[in-house]
Amino acid sequence: MTQIELRGVQKFFGAVQVIKDLNLKISDNEFIVLLGQSGCGKTTTLRAIAGLETIDEGDILIDGKQVQHLKAADRDIAMVFQSFSLYPHMSVYENIAFPLRAMRKSKSEIDQEVRSVAKTLQISDLLAKKPSALSGGDMQRVAIGRALVRRPKAMLMDEPIGALDAKLREEMRAEIKRLHIKQGSTTIYVTHDQIEAMSLADRIVIMHEGVLQQVGTPDEVYSRPANLFVAQFVGSPVMNVADAAVAEKASVASVIVGDAPTGFEFPRTLLSKLNGHASGSLALGIRPEGVLIRRDAADGFMAVETQIVEPLGSFDIVDLKVGSNMLRARTKSGFVAGPGEKVFARIDPTQAHFFDKASGKSLEVRL
Amino acid sequence: MVVSVLNTLDPQSRAAARGWSDLTIRNIFIIPTVLFLIVFNIFPLIYSLGYSFTDFAANRNVPWSFVGLQNYRDLLADQRIWTNFVITAKYVIVSVGGQMIIGFGIALLLNRDFPFKGVVTTLLLLPMMLSAAVVGLFWQLLYSPSWGPINYILGLRNFGLLSDADTALYAVAITDIWMWSPFVMLLSLAGLSAVPKHLYEAAAIDRASSWYTFTRITLPLVAPILMIALIFRTMEAFKTFDLAYVLSVQPTTELIAIKLYRLAFQQWDTGRSSALAYIVLIMVLAITNIYVKYLNKVKER
Repeated sequence: MTQIELRGVQKFFGAVQVIKDLNLKISDNEFIVLLGQSGCGKTTTLRAIAGLETIDEGDILIDGKQVQHLKAADRDIAMVFQSFSLYPHMSVYENIAFPLRAMRKSKSEIDQEVRSVAKTLQISDLLAKKPSALSGGDMQRVAIGRALVRRPKAMLMDEPIGALDAKLREEMRAEIKRLHIKQGSTTIYVTHDQIEAMSLADRIVIMHEGVLQQVGTPDEVYSRPANLFVAQFVGSPVMNVADAAVAEKASVASVIVGDAPTGFEFPRTLLSKLNGHASGSLALGIRPEGVLIRRDAADGFMAVETQIVEPLGSFDIVDLKVGSNMLRARTKSGFVAGPGEKVFARIDPTQAHFFDKASGKSLEVRL
Repeated sequence: MVVSVLNTLDPQSRAAARGWSDLTIRNIFIIPTVLFLIVFNIFPLIYSLGYSFTDFAANRNVPWSFVGLQNYRDLLADQRIWTNFVITAKYVIVSVGGQMIIGFGIALLLNRDFPFKGVVTTLLLLPMMLSAAVVGLFWQLLYSPSWGPINYILGLRNFGLLSDADTALYAVAITDIWMWSPFVMLLSLAGLSAVPKHLYEAAAIDRASSWYTFTRITLPLVAPILMIALIFRTMEAFKTFDLAYVLSVQPTTELIAIKLYRLAFQQWDTGRSSALAYIVLIMVLAITNIYVKYLNKVKER
């Protein structure tokens, strides 16, 4: 029932502009993840929506109403902090009850709400404890409980599981997702972890140096990155990016990576789709799973030498030497035994991305 | 020069050359302090406890005799001594209460960023750093009925705040508040700045009003350090001597410490005054104990 809209938001810290002309529309019940490196302005954006930070220009609208001049308390938004921000002198019960008590709700109503939220989050047996006696995961559950208890218009989460260890993070991630599906409220979630973003988001908003780079579903962001930054930020292992030149060769197009002696074969239509960007300012992006390798020579495959192999359990990442560049390929585990092996590789044209090197923008070439 | 200093500090050179161990060095630092404490604190303490059971008078060279608990019995039965205690109690409540309210209030005002915050804070701390005798003399001038600014501002004409039996104690207390509020302010400021900012943000998000935030977040978290300020100031106020002695000669400002001084060094009733000193000590200990118990409770939360 809550839409949030940012219109031309600008924010300066002194001379540094941390948010640059941000426009974003978040629809009801949507789970939005703001993704970016630290210092990209994502947390500032979140705090601006919460009312903890003023903005210098632009409008923030909640349900169509301008709120940028309202105090945090008047925006009816809940927030979960990275540092949990539990009140250390209060028990878990009192922590969760705090927002309700602050609004002078009746005792029985508060008790009922607190217990029901505690049950949802499975922390009923912790209600009497102090935050200092809780584990990190439980502290986060309490912080989420405190945010949920008053049924806010929207939930904001600032790296809520960033302070937890890896295993717990995965658990909490699933829990947050389950909770969102069950409770369904407009949620804005800030993280620098692209896996978290991919797994949680309905739509991901990628920011870099205060500028919005791309907004889209996890799939869109992954398979159709709008620019080089998004391409390299989203996805693990990281996408291969290399300077490339395209040449016409017989009935095919040949994409030469860096200073490699020969090129990879691409369909001829590439030439027309590149629309004149054929050489000089072109960068090829290919995810490791788009680099196909086989042991025996075949049509269109190029002979390459393997360098290091990183076994990652379910798959291996193999570095292939292509000219002076490295191309990382994803293979079945154990496919390549070690460095110095000769294998044959090609690039899957449907998974290739072409970027304009100067602007970093994707050329939107789909094959 | 610097090199030579560094050389002497080097454990490889002198201390080691003399064969001093860490333990020896530690003892060299500790033993003089312990000796000093024993000679000037602990020995007189025990000796005066002995005096309190005698009729010893320090200015007369006559043999003294052991009187048992007579001194204590006389003192506790003496109506005038109780009057002194009541005066002291009044003084402690007014002056410490005032200091807590004003000190904490100023701390709340200072607990934000504004230009010249450091300078302002330091200036506010000045009264605390002055000698009580000097403060007393200056405030005597300020209170002066004939040309003191306080009388002028309040329009009291020739009414002497310090020479009136009813107001003198409060006038002294106000001076004490002026002098020691900065102490409470300093401790409160430390407590306030130790409250994490993100808790206030969480409270703002939780839609708590500023009053609710103050009573539920700020006060409970600052309470332990406020208790410490309260303990210190109560103990100090209980044994106030200089300020009241300099400011006023009214019998209504005869605090227990002044009474003790007169008993010991004007009437030279050494035995009895020792007994009174112990009664005061026990009272201060009792009050402090109550506070400390409460402090521990506050800390537990």
